[in-house]
Amino acid sequence: MNSATTSAPLRGGAGALARFLGWIQPRGTLTAGLAITFVILFMGFVAPFLYHVDPYAIHPDHALQPPSWAFPLGTDELGRDELALLLSGGLATLVVALPAAVLGFVLGVAYGLLSGLAPAWVDKLLMRLLDAVLALPSLIILIFFASLVTLNNTSLILLLGFISWPGLARLVRNETIAQRGRDFVLAAEQLGASRFYVARVHLIRSMAPVLVVNGTFMVGDSVFALSALSFLGLGVQPPQVSWGSLLQDALDIIALDPWWLIIPPGLLVFGSLIAASLTGQGLLQRWGNSR
Amino acid sequence: MSHVLDIKNLSVSLKRGGKSIAILDDLNLSIKAGEMLALVGESGSGKTIAALSIMRLLPKGAVISGDIMLGESNLASLDEPAMRRIRGLGVGMVFQNPLAALNPSKTVASQIGEAWMVHQGGSGRAARTRALELLTEVGIPNPETRLDDYPHQFSGGMRQRVMIAIALACSPKLLIADEPTTGLDPLIARQIMALIARLRRERNMGVLFVTHDLSVVEEHADSVHVLYAGRSVEWGPAKIFFAHPRHPYSEALLGSVARLGQARLQSIPGNLPEPETRPPGCRFAPRCGYAKPACEAGYPATAPGGTQACCLFPLPEKDQLTYAQKLVKKPRRNFPLQLEVQNLEVRYAGATSWFGASSKLPPSLMDVAFTLGRGECLGVVGESGSGKSTLGRAILQMVDYSGHVILDGEDFAPLRGAARRAQRRRIQVVFQDPRESMNPRIKIGDIIAEPLRLKGRISKAAARAQVATLLGRVGLNPEMANLMPGAVSGGQAQRIAIARALAAEPEVIVLDEPTSSLDVSTQAMLLNLLKDLAAESGLSYILISHDFAVVSYMADKIAVLNAGRVVEMADTAQIIEAPQHKYTAALIGAAPQLRGSV
Repeated sequence: MNSATTSAPLRGGAGALARFLGWIQPRGTLTAGLAITFVILFMGFVAPFLYHVDPYAIHPDHALQPPSWAFPLGTDELGRDELALLLSGGLATLVVALPAAVLGFVLGVAYGLLSGLAPAWVDKLLMRLLDAVLALPSLIILIFFASLVTLNNTSLILLLGFISWPGLARLVRNETIAQRGRDFVLAAEQLGASRFYVARVHLIRSMAPVLVVNGTFMVGDSVFALSALSFLGLGVQPPQVSWGSLLQDALDIIALDPWWLIIPPGLLVFGSLIAASLTGQGLLQRWGNSR
Repeated sequence: MSHVLDIKNLSVSLKRGGKSIAILDDLNLSIKAGEMLALVGESGSGKTIAALSIMRLLPKGAVISGDIMLGESNLASLDEPAMRRIRGLGVGMVFQNPLAALNPSKTVASQIGEAWMVHQGGSGRAARTRALELLTEVGIPNPETRLDDYPHQFSGGMRQRVMIAIALACSPKLLIADEPTTGLDPLIARQIMALIARLRRERNMGVLFVTHDLSVVEEHADSVHVLYAGRSVEWGPAKIFFAHPRHPYSEALLGSVARLGQARLQSIPGNLPEPETRPPGCRFAPRCGYAKPACEAGYPATAPGGTQACCLFPLPEKDQLTYAQKLVKKPRRNFPLQLEVQNLEVRYAGATSWFGASSKLPPSLMDVAFTLGRGECLGVVGESGSGKSTLGRAILQMVDYSGHVILDGEDFAPLRGAARRAQRRRIQVVFQDPRESMNPRIKIGDIIAEPLRLKGRISKAAARAQVATLLGRVGLNPEMANLMPGAVSGGQAQRIAIARALAAEPEVIVLDEPTSSLDVSTQAMLLNLLKDLAAESGLSYILISHDFAVVSYMADKIAVLNAGRVVEMADTAQIIEAPQHKYTAALIGAAPQLRGSV
């Protein structure tokens, strides 16, 4: 055995895991964020296929029961299994919120890069436009447009995506302005690089920390915005339930104090925000240390 | 005569990744009242750690052993409150970057006064009087009118004087100056050096002058102490040291200082070892031209002589110095025309108002014209703000200008789009800060391959082969292609930047202060590399620098810029021998001269 093979025990899958754990271990924030994210993703995408209970099966004789062995999270006023509803609602929430966040992310990055690299007057115009969009409260705009269109998954994704980009766009624009005068960008231009090439190869990479961190935040915001809309009845449409609509349903019978119908969906919306925030903060810390 | 500072067996180790790593080993030095000791070493030698350990300003986890005697008190074992009294009162300190060390939101009078009142107490009025005395002493013109100015209202050199005034506020017995002249223009640096030299004599104060550049301290230091990789290699009286360096490293370090009219710079092969991988025997042995097998095993003992040198085979006290050479006149050569610049003028736009009207600032560059031949090197010298970098950027088409830049008979002005991009490629650039000129998130191999990819489609294998060739041409290991830019040293990074420029197959390279962020020995190596590359391939250079000696080493002709105008342009030898403009003469006076046989 030569020393080269013995000195590299961290190879392969297990090694990758060990390196990954070593990477996050000293940073509690990131660990906590990733753990909550994992739990939520598991509940949304895996658990519905493991828990074989029909969320829409009505058991009138078991209505409004607190948690028990038969109904782990109790039942609603129609006697539907709350855990099954929560899992189904989670999937419904995430399949809209995640693509919406991706859409908003792409729009924000594209708008920011365009504005940052365009001639000064175009930049000025785009930024004033952005100010105009930011000046209106996003929930009001959401409600306005949601009342105009037929609500389905596609229209919700577009709606949420189109509402979430301005913040990131401004960040990316400012970062672009800051980075485009750096020596490595000038050197690339001297080599004949086009603006598009500079944006694609250099700017995106050098602002990767900003992008990843803010992209993480956007996922949390997107879950929250969709839940708010659904709570108001303008989000995921019945009969499909979602975290927001489950909260709304519970609100109708709040006088009966059905805590098992309020806390779990509330906790999941809250958890999504916290997960995104912690993960983002954790990544920021990590990059801050290694920069 | 008693010692102001007496350091005995000082060792410092730092915590890195949970392990304790020795940074400085067994340092012994002493400074008498009124003596200036130059602590010399390249980056990684431990010189700054030594200076900081006197002030006990080391990073967390640092462990000191040994004694640091300041008069009667041992700074290595003093408690923190007592140490706070020492800082400022017993020892004053001046740092490299005065702008970072000064508080931007307080006037200089209050900052100088603060240093005084913290230790001496007393009224604000007395502190103000003291501040005025000190500003006068450090040579600030019209000090009474500058008392209430803020740091940003001072120039770099004046700011450093203010820093010195603060350090002197309580009349310390010892002044520690950590690279106080690095980053200043050479004329200003010389004045600061002379100021410190005068102050130590007038105040009978000990000075520990920390620097990487021997030429800075040549004129004023009383004694020299050279560090290499955390260990002392040679120390003794400056006069003897500069005349007869006895350690091979000292000799090499002296030889790599660029001096006016030098024929060939001596450079030191290899890199300074990291603290983790220092060789067991003599730490310089792997890079030493005189090394024998014994050097790799044994710890070298001090050899007696004029200076103390830690070397098993010290150099003899020669009469003829290897680093002193006769001024060589470069033969005047005729070059075929490559680049022509006519009536170049650059004006930066001032603040733009809301309605698009911008106030025009005075031009940064006026009426510049020259020609550059194929294979020729034009040196552009001037101090900061003279417009020398702007000239480089105009030639590179990075800024808007009026006038003409004509490459190979073709004017840039009418070119647009692809034709312009293709023409721009023919002029490449190497920037001052090699790290800033590379995207830190892209592998070195891909950085060098960028010009190849931008030129047209190229297969992965072909790109890899070309990258390997280019790395070889700049004297680097082809395996470096797999590293990230953060993993290489400054000198290596600058070679990579040169390799990238070469990959574009340019005819002209603009070198914008290519060596001013590098250590002296690395600088020598890089300059020699650039020289060899030009000789191989007929490259033309425009070398922009504030260092007249560096420019004179490289350039066939020199243009001297002052306030945006070319005040003098002539062949290198002619300009050194008979400068026509007094500004040129001053620059030449500030540059390191050849020693010994001249």
